[in-house]
Amino acid sequence: MDGVRVRYGQTLAVRDVTLGVEPGEMLALLGPSGCGKTTLLRTVAGFIRADAGRVLVDGNAIDHLPPGRRGVGIVFQSYALFPHMSAAENVAYGLEARRLPKAEIVRKVEAALAAVRMESFAERRPRALSGGQQQRVALARALAIEPSILLLDEPFAALDRSLRLDLQLEIKRIQRRFGVTAVLVTHDQDEAMSMSDRMAVMNAGRVEQVAPPAEVYDRPATAFVAGFVGTTNRLYGRVEAREGEDYRIRLDAGATVTAASPRGFAVGERVLVCARPEQLTLRDAGDADPAAFPARLRQSLPIGPATIHDLETGASEIKLHEARRGAPPPPGPVRIAILPGATPSIFPEGETA
Amino acid sequence: MHRFTGSDRALALLILALAGCGFLILVGPVIVVLVTSFTSSRALQFPPPGFTLQWYRELFDPARSAQIHIAAGNSLMVAVLTAVVATSLATAAALAITRSRAGWARVAEGGFMAPLVLPGIAFGLASLMFFSWLRQPPSLALLVAGHAMIAAPFALRTVGASAAGLDPALLESSAALGAGPWRTFRRVTLPLILPGVAAGAFLAFVSSLDNVPVSLFLASAQTDMLPIRMWGMMETALDVRVAAASGVLVAVAFVLLLAMDRAVGLARRMSG
Repeated sequence: MDGVRVRYGQTLAVRDVTLGVEPGEMLALLGPSGCGKTTLLRTVAGFIRADAGRVLVDGNAIDHLPPGRRGVGIVFQSYALFPHMSAAENVAYGLEARRLPKAEIVRKVEAALAAVRMESFAERRPRALSGGQQQRVALARALAIEPSILLLDEPFAALDRSLRLDLQLEIKRIQRRFGVTAVLVTHDQDEAMSMSDRMAVMNAGRVEQVAPPAEVYDRPATAFVAGFVGTTNRLYGRVEAREGEDYRIRLDAGATVTAASPRGFAVGERVLVCARPEQLTLRDAGDADPAAFPARLRQSLPIGPATIHDLETGASEIKLHEARRGAPPPPGPVRIAILPGATPSIFPEGETA
Repeated sequence: MHRFTGSDRALALLILALAGCGFLILVGPVIVVLVTSFTSSRALQFPPPGFTLQWYRELFDPARSAQIHIAAGNSLMVAVLTAVVATSLATAAALAITRSRAGWARVAEGGFMAPLVLPGIAFGLASLMFFSWLRQPPSLALLVAGHAMIAAPFALRTVGASAAGLDPALLESSAALGAGPWRTFRRVTLPLILPGVAAGAFLAFVSSLDNVPVSLFLASAQTDMLPIRMWGMMETALDVRVAAASGVLVAVAFVLLLAMDRAVGLARRMSG
């Protein structure tokens, strides 16, 4: 995708996005609803014409091609299986449209259904299949035409939570085995993190960051990414001193912390420090460490092996995530410090998250 | 639990009485004509003094009822052609209208539905004047054209209901899998809207078969239509064969209706 721009009336749905997908890679387009990720996917599929920019596959522009000639396989959110055809007929549809010989169609349909472990359901109509089974047939149908790109549009949104992880793993495995390049559109960050090799976080028609999931989580490029991917605590403060990429920041909450950022900030500049719940730790109220700031513990919730502490400092809320060790402290005044070695991110104060 | 009070029961009785009246008004005349068609009398009178099958025998007699048979043949031919033409037009229109959100689609839909509310007699006169202005002599083709206008709204309604329920992702899916517009229509769209198309064709067929106002203006001596012929027979001779012909029409419509309902659930389509 090279400078793709899509306009709906007066609104720019996609603003000059340039994005590459490596062969065999799964790229996730992650963002809140209305951020343009589905529009971008539909532009690649050929259902929407870009107002500017080009869509290239292996260096060749495909903008002038209709959807059926682009070599893309699509799995829709609703699966869009043809209800009046059996699973096998659904899978055969794209092959018949390509006018392949009958024997070859039969062979490829069998192979595609076997790949998604649906061969024993070949004669069933979609209505007689569960949601997960329908999705696998939809995947088989998209893969049967041997697409150069597989597009997945919120493929798990209609499934039960308990089913999702199994299918995510399975689709990931199938995608790897076929070596097919895939683009996954989702608003579910867990899905994007577990499935993709790299994720592109989108907001208001722009791509804010493209990186492997762990890097997006650990080093969010913008305050929006920090807030959208994972949970973040927003701490405001002022830069006191700078040494290379290390900054000493005086927090409004009453502590002095150090953090690193490749972005340049001037001494005295107002900044926003984004710290993950697991980058913080609880201290006693009597702790005298100048790197800790006072807060009030409202409640502590044991969740699996961890404890989530719900705190407030001044007007802002803080979530803190720690391994569970014995009974939590009673609600009341405490102090919060940034864990040694943790790397909170710094952004200009005005940046919206 | 809700307890029935006196006023509840009165309301229930009133509704029942109204429903009974409606049923009587709708079905009563059909029963009267069916019973009368078996009369032994030479006059159209109810209740009949006795029962015979003589009027049906006479109606089906090729020599004595030749005129009626010709008219019935014309009517059947026009009805079949009307069903084909009206349903094809309505299907094309319904697909375009449901797919488009543009303003013209709403206008087009209104235009297609207009014959439903336009007085038939005015439409009949208008079409006669229009066709004679075009210097077209009366023919079966003109009758089909006139009937198709009247019948199209029925088909548009049923096909439109089917098409509205069509998931657009299915059409996109078909396109993405490499199917052209024609293959998509034949393999995906048509099979999925077929119940609406069949119901529309049935309604178009029936509305053409018993159409009087348009036939009155567009039919000629060569293109005699069954309802017009029946009206003529009534006017001149109070011929009891008219009752027998009505009986046959009611039976045909009823059998077709049952067959349609079996096949596609007409009642469901109509309410959609």
